[in-house]
Amino acid sequence: MAALLRTEGLTKHFRGLVAVEDLSFALAKGEVRCVIGPNGSGKTTFISMISGHVEPTAGRIWFKEREITRLSVVRRAQVGIGRKFQTPSVFEGLSALQNLELAGLRLAKPRAERMRASESILETIRLVEQRDTPAQFLSHGQRQWLEIGLLLANEVELLLLDEPTAGMTAEETAATGQLVQHLAADRSLSVIIIEHDINFIRELKAPITILHLGRLLREGSYDEIAEDAQVRQVYLGTTGHA
Amino acid sequence: METVVSVFADTILITLVLAFAAFGLAIIYGLIGVINMGHGAMLTLGAYFTWWSTQHGVPFVPSVLLSAIAVGAVGLAFEHIIIRHFYNRPFDTLLLTWAFFLVTTEVIKIVFGTDFRNVPSPVDGAIDLEIYRVPAYKTIVGAVSISIIAGTALVFFKTALGIKIRAMIQNREVASLLGLNIAVMYKLVFAFGAFMAGLAGGLIAPMYSIDPYMGNTFLVRSFFVVIIGGVGQLLAGTLFGSFAIGGLETVLALFSDQVIAQIAVFFIAVLILRFRPQGVFTGR
Amino acid sequence: MTMQVQHGGHVAAASSRGGWMGGEDLAAMVVFGLLAAIPLVTSGYAVYILPQYMLLGLLAMSLVILWGYGGIVSFGQAAFFAIGAYAMGLVMKHAALPINSAYLGILAGVAGAALVSLLIGHFLFSAGVRSTYFVVATLALSIIVEQTVKSFSDITGGWNGLYVDRMTLTLGPLVQLSLFDDMPMYYTVLAVVVPIYVAVAALMRARFGKIVVGIRENEDRMLALGFNVPAYKTLAFGLSGLLAGLAGALYATHASFAHPSNAGVLFSTQVVIWVAIGGRHSLLGAFAGAIVVASLSNYLSSIEAIQEYWPLVQGLVFIAVIVLFRNGLAGVVESLFGKKRHGRAA
Repeated sequence: MAALLRTEGLTKHFRGLVAVEDLSFALAKGEVRCVIGPNGSGKTTFISMISGHVEPTAGRIWFKEREITRLSVVRRAQVGIGRKFQTPSVFEGLSALQNLELAGLRLAKPRAERMRASESILETIRLVEQRDTPAQFLSHGQRQWLEIGLLLANEVELLLLDEPTAGMTAEETAATGQLVQHLAADRSLSVIIIEHDINFIRELKAPITILHLGRLLREGSYDEIAEDAQVRQVYLGTTGHA
Repeated sequence: METVVSVFADTILITLVLAFAAFGLAIIYGLIGVINMGHGAMLTLGAYFTWWSTQHGVPFVPSVLLSAIAVGAVGLAFEHIIIRHFYNRPFDTLLLTWAFFLVTTEVIKIVFGTDFRNVPSPVDGAIDLEIYRVPAYKTIVGAVSISIIAGTALVFFKTALGIKIRAMIQNREVASLLGLNIAVMYKLVFAFGAFMAGLAGGLIAPMYSIDPYMGNTFLVRSFFVVIIGGVGQLLAGTLFGSFAIGGLETVLALFSDQVIAQIAVFFIAVLILRFRPQGVFTGR
Repeated sequence: MTMQVQHGGHVAAASSRGGWMGGEDLAAMVVFGLLAAIPLVTSGYAVYILPQYMLLGLLAMSLVILWGYGGIVSFGQAAFFAIGAYAMGLVMKHAALPINSAYLGILAGVAGAALVSLLIGHFLFSAGVRSTYFVVATLALSIIVEQTVKSFSDITGGWNGLYVDRMTLTLGPLVQLSLFDDMPMYYTVLAVVVPIYVAVAALMRARFGKIVVGIRENEDRMLALGFNVPAYKTLAFGLSGLLAGLAGALYATHASFAHPSNAGVLFSTQVVIWVAIGGRHSLLGAFAGAIVVASLSNYLSSIEAIQEYWPLVQGLVFIAVIVLFRNGLAGVVESLFGKKRHGRAA
């Protein structure tokens, strides 16, 4: 199966600081991948290069078999890449429903269809009761979901989620995990998640890519990673079992 | 040969005068990010205060200093009463400083009337250098300008106070954790910027006829100076930006009249703004 | 209220004031109804001068599109107004017959203003020029236009301005409507302003308006959702330039001259003040605000004692509006009559 997203030798240097170095990565359609690593390992920079917010120093990126290395943020969003930022970026003054409706406007669909799609997304992101609540009054977790909803309304094919469960309750975190699994399984969306919450990652049962100092350290399932000595060294500073 | 020298001399002087006029704006915009649309009005106020003071017998230099202090005080009052509540909303500060310009100009019109005023130049005539005669007063203003700008830059980069201010600008949160009083720093910067504008207005007063809108010719040019030079680049940016604008004006004025030169300069400045919005000098 | 239900729970994002669309339509009917009735109940100065104020109201509406909806502050509306006025004046002056040249003049004014605004908008927005720098550019634009019309005095009449004939409009081969008299001029202007209001209001409630508001609310999010933000900003700027040019062209033929004071920073500032006081988010509010403040200015400037202080008062009111009454008169009216508001934004 051809990869939906592929990078080759992706590198970013900031004025003498190496953020990402020679990262080659592939993601299939409908696949969920967790990207983890200590702070400063280059996770957000990596995501930013895929969404177009940061220009790579070297390397290339392909999306749906098409090279997007030089495409703008706007164009990448138009071809199906959606990014959820670390700090939720929604339309604070608009209600949840209005938020979704606005995001769907780009697709130039008839109003009735757009409304139906928005209602359906509200259900998916569990904000049906908050449809008329202005976004600024939603809880932090609900704003994260709303932002994901915006991406769904925009009909993206790749979701880049930057720490979606930050600030969420345990229950919200679990719901988010279910949401991600549903999106991948039932809607064939590909998802890259940057996360720190170990429980969330374990429950998600998705393949993991670990970055360290901007380089790819290891890739594998949760169990494989947990046993890996090198990973333990990086995270825990030990090689023995915890 | 004479023309080249005269153009060169004119350009240097215009650059320094413009740099001085723009400096207050550069400080406020560069350090605390407020687009002070009232900058021109502060210049005008400095000129009027100087005029009024000299009219009442106070010698020129003390008049200028007193005016500058007065304008600084006005700026401080405005900051304290209104501006400080809006630092996180740049458009509002823009509109409010514009309102400051409106109100100040009207008050000037009411108090001082709309007739053109004149402050006699304290130093007349010209200095005779072998190849060219430079206007004496303008040269002195130029010298004062470069001294003050360089001096301020020195304080900013080499003294403890300067370091504190720079720390505050780069990271407000950390600075306040370190015990630096952010609010006071903002007041200091704003008042200092106003003081500078008033000082420039007072010193420039003898060179132009004073009317309620005189400062405004410097407003847009000052913005271009700061934008072209690079926001936050107090020394190199201000001087280079002034050189670009002033030099361009001088050269173009040779080929056509003053007005067309100004139009052309604005046009070119907008081009530069578009193609290099971060200014010529970037980074610290 | 039937109109309320029509828009129902689906609150239009374009109006950042919740379910008040029904109320605004009602207010519009009242305002335009009043304006339509005035020449029927009175004659004289009011009928003469109101078309001018209505056109200033149109100018104010052009800024609402840009500032209220788009969040783009501009001190350049006077530049487009002046382009419209001078284009009209020049066409009328040089055209052979005074009849069809009126339409040509309007077309020239509108096209000229629209062209300049689209070019400048595209030039600056496509490079992602920061909004704060954009304000400085519009300021420079006002100055450039003002200086230009003052300088090229052979063409533009310089400081004195340009005399412009009152128009005579042809409607079909047999009908000629002379606008030399107050009444026909009044209703012609009204017949232009009302449909434009309705059309623009509808546009801002539709997809275009919602996207423009979205850009104002969170530009980065709009970019990351794939909206061509620079294009929308350019269109908004172009539309506001076009309307300002139209207002200028008609104004010139009413006031009988185009003058450097139609351009410049002071007049641009005046437009900003009208819109701030009337209500920057409200087309109708800004329209009414312009009429009210302009007529008040006219009236007060004839009173010796107050005349000197009126601009100062305006400046202070302006400060009050920015600090306290962010949505101007429209906001005040709304909170007196209006329902619970959703989605109020800056």
